[in-house]
Amino acid sequence: MALRKRVWRIIKENKGRYIGIFILIFLGSFYFIAASGVGSSMGKLVTDFTEKNKQEDITFKTNKPLENIAALERESGALIDTYRLHDIKVPNGELRLLSPSTKVNIPAVTSGHGLKKPGDILLDPIFCKVHGLKIGDQLKLNGRTFDIVGTVAMPNYVYILKNVYEQYPPKGFGIGLISNADFKAFPKAATVYSAYMKDRENVKAKAANLNRLLSNKGYSLSEWLNAETNARIAMVRGNIEGAKTMGAPVAAAVYLLCCLILGVMIQRIVKSDGVVIGTLYAQGYRRGELVRHYMAIPVLLSAVSGLVGTLLALPVVGPVIGILTSSYNMPVTGLSFPPLSMVLGVLMPMVLLSLSSYVILRRVLKKSAAELMKGDEQKTKVNFLERKLQLERFKFATKFKLREQIRSIPRLLFLLLGVSAASMLLLLGFTVHNSFQVLMDSTGSDRYFPIETTFKEIQHGAAPKGAEPLNAIRSYLKGNEKAEFYVVGLEPNSIGITMRDSNGNNLPKNQVNITYLLAYRLGLKVGDTINIVSKVDGKSYSLKIDGIVQTYFGQYIYMPLEEFNRMTGNAPGSYLGLLSKNKLDIDENLLTGINDFHNLNEMDDTTTSTLTASVVLITIVASLAGAIIIFLVTSMMIEESRSTISLLKIFGYRGKEVAKLILNSSTPVVFIGFWLGLPLMLAVGNTLYGYLGEQINMVMPMIVNPWYVLISFVLIFAVYEVTKWLCGRKLAKISMSEVLKAGTE
Amino acid sequence: MFLSVSNLTKSYNTGIITHVLKGVNLEMKRGQIGVILGPSGSGKSTLMNIIGGVDSADSGTVEVDGERITGLNDKQLVEYRRESVGFVFQFYNLVPNLTVAENIEVVSNISRNPLQTDEVLSAVGLFNKKNRFPRELSGGEQQRVSIARAIVKNPKLLLCDEPTGALDLETSRGVLSLLQKVNTQFGTTILMITHNSAIAGMAHAVFRMRDGEIAEVRQNSELIQAERIEW
Repeated sequence: MALRKRVWRIIKENKGRYIGIFILIFLGSFYFIAASGVGSSMGKLVTDFTEKNKQEDITFKTNKPLENIAALERESGALIDTYRLHDIKVPNGELRLLSPSTKVNIPAVTSGHGLKKPGDILLDPIFCKVHGLKIGDQLKLNGRTFDIVGTVAMPNYVYILKNVYEQYPPKGFGIGLISNADFKAFPKAATVYSAYMKDRENVKAKAANLNRLLSNKGYSLSEWLNAETNARIAMVRGNIEGAKTMGAPVAAAVYLLCCLILGVMIQRIVKSDGVVIGTLYAQGYRRGELVRHYMAIPVLLSAVSGLVGTLLALPVVGPVIGILTSSYNMPVTGLSFPPLSMVLGVLMPMVLLSLSSYVILRRVLKKSAAELMKGDEQKTKVNFLERKLQLERFKFATKFKLREQIRSIPRLLFLLLGVSAASMLLLLGFTVHNSFQVLMDSTGSDRYFPIETTFKEIQHGAAPKGAEPLNAIRSYLKGNEKAEFYVVGLEPNSIGITMRDSNGNNLPKNQVNITYLLAYRLGLKVGDTINIVSKVDGKSYSLKIDGIVQTYFGQYIYMPLEEFNRMTGNAPGSYLGLLSKNKLDIDENLLTGINDFHNLNEMDDTTTSTLTASVVLITIVASLAGAIIIFLVTSMMIEESRSTISLLKIFGYRGKEVAKLILNSSTPVVFIGFWLGLPLMLAVGNTLYGYLGEQINMVMPMIVNPWYVLISFVLIFAVYEVTKWLCGRKLAKISMSEVLKAGTE
Repeated sequence: MFLSVSNLTKSYNTGIITHVLKGVNLEMKRGQIGVILGPSGSGKSTLMNIIGGVDSADSGTVEVDGERITGLNDKQLVEYRRESVGFVFQFYNLVPNLTVAENIEVVSNISRNPLQTDEVLSAVGLFNKKNRFPRELSGGEQQRVSIARAIVKNPKLLLCDEPTGALDLETSRGVLSLLQKVNTQFGTTILMITHNSAIAGMAHAVFRMRDGEIAEVRQNSELIQAERIEW
């Protein structure tokens, strides 16, 4: 029908605005499909890998080798496997050698072939990349030469952390798999056990049962670690949940913003067409026919942009998986796209936008032909807010700008929420980057004695010269097993760990001090009492917090050593670890490990570059979204004020004065929108990282850097100024004749 | 002469060349009311737009109070409109989301020596409605606001394009008598275009236009009071 031609003409006349809405919907669909595709594909990859290769439910060490494992397996209903572990220094890094398991944590060869002959080694691909190694190369370890025959992924090292309390992999660290026979060359290698529950129902209770069983048989357990709190395993799950959780709300927020602005635009078209609609009714057009005509724009726009967004997101999922799996180590077997998400990617914007447009359209189309032909719809109505505002005391320019803004509440909301969302995104990107930097910089910064030597058994007597004794238990908050941390006993005159409060004053060490990160996570302040449970023996303790250590590193509660020993039932003077400035000369057979905290603060290059790339991407998307939103609102404002602009020109307003009145009216809204973005960003960031904290025991406080806030502010206002300049050209084109020829107010 | 138009021509090219003004000559003294009468398409509005500095002529001159308008560039025209001319439109052209007082401030905001908004509002009888929005006023009241807006800058020349074209007789009389009052009270020169010849009686000078030319000029020695105009 002839009316159809109009649809194209309307779109062509306002192409800038429709392109803006197209991009917004496109971004929403693109993000939704990419996030759900990545979430689903990663989920499937992880599930396939962990199920097929029997990812451990628990890992633990014992004070003596386990005897009769077959009997233990029968009693506990678990598969129990033994593997060897040995850390060995390599140039610019460290390699953790592991022996292959056959029952639990079965290795997956991702390239090359498996271990066939003595001297073969499989390496993780990240280690190969960082150290420039490839299949066919040779690697010298402890004087022995190994042939690199392939790359490997281990279910218990999906995220290759050296220590589970680290938040990111140390630079140059990796894993390698050599045969049990080759392990003979490394006699100091530790023996570690892993268990996998055959019956997958209520795994947690079965794990607790295994713990009891082993304790009852006289084994002393150390480093008992559940898969769900083991960051090597849980980190990837947290990220998948994050992608899934953030996918739908972000896309929905974008769609809702589009609904708001498209609704305003449809309302404008329908209102200005009131007389035409009335005339068409009078000529015999049916309501349905008119609904179809006016719905064509939102349906067409949302369908095309939703489809384009969905189609373009599909090829992006593969590379994103590639980037993510470059931080994680697991076999990439294929991508998975949930059909429901794909349908939603196209249908969701269509349904939401069409519905919002229909609601607006229905209000006008309900009126009779005679009513519509009177042209009342075209007349500008004064809304409640405009009527209530008492502006007499303000200057004319202020009054004019305020009225220009509140003239359309949905338009105002769109601008405010849009700028807030763009600012929030921008600030979130910068703040996450900054928080990582701060965490990275503070890692180990409180350690005056950076070397921590940990024994397999509790030690008694005096500590070696130049070393300080410490004792520790891995614990969790009573009622929340996922909130894990260490309670550490230190001598009151310890100099190994620096403890300062928020004012920079030294904290006494003869009291209970909690690190800021843990206090922040658990919501504790000085004077509070914390109830904790030991992960080793399940005993509960209460501690009153006397001080908060201002550090972003580690989740620790420090207390005087003797008080610690008394509380945990250890003999006076006993200790499990030593703090020292230099490496101590102790038989490594007695040790479970040596950590150098000053070498922890080098983040893996892949993680750094992924993070930087994410920040750049977020900055581009946020700026683009901000520009589109401001452009849409400004161009709409110019369109709605055409006759006023024309009138102002007739009255002798200079070009700059008109531009100031019309274009600058959004400045306070953009200003408020930006500052609203800050608490919004903190809320979203804290929720996101609070959730991750729950999942993987990681704490990431949102540390706002005023410089980044300033950069974001400047960026948002630069976008605003550029958009204003672009719209200013449109303003200049409005002629005085428009109002001279106009027929009504 | 306060207003002097000589040999003014203007044509539009919309595929076909239309000669709208074909050498118009017109003169008015300071403080007079002038009325341009003529049917649609006779060139009244084009003439008024050129005098008001919102349109340009092809040839000929327009002088207002000794200032040659036709020689001014765009920037100078802006200053001319800003300081010297007031406009009253047939359909009022009020800004719908500004109150009555604010509509007047639109102009006083950029004037060098504006009259007080309240004084002007009292003069047009709308002081008690200064916080209303245009939609809440009758047509006559809206036109009064439009007049108040035009005179707040105390212009040398007030140009009125069919000021009663959208109003009934009684309301029109009120508006016309207000214009008469502005003319006497502030000494403002008023040029009005209309196709209603009944209005001619209240003008000092009457110009009848036909087909782009001034067909007749008449000077009224006795003016009719606006309240007594009939049609």
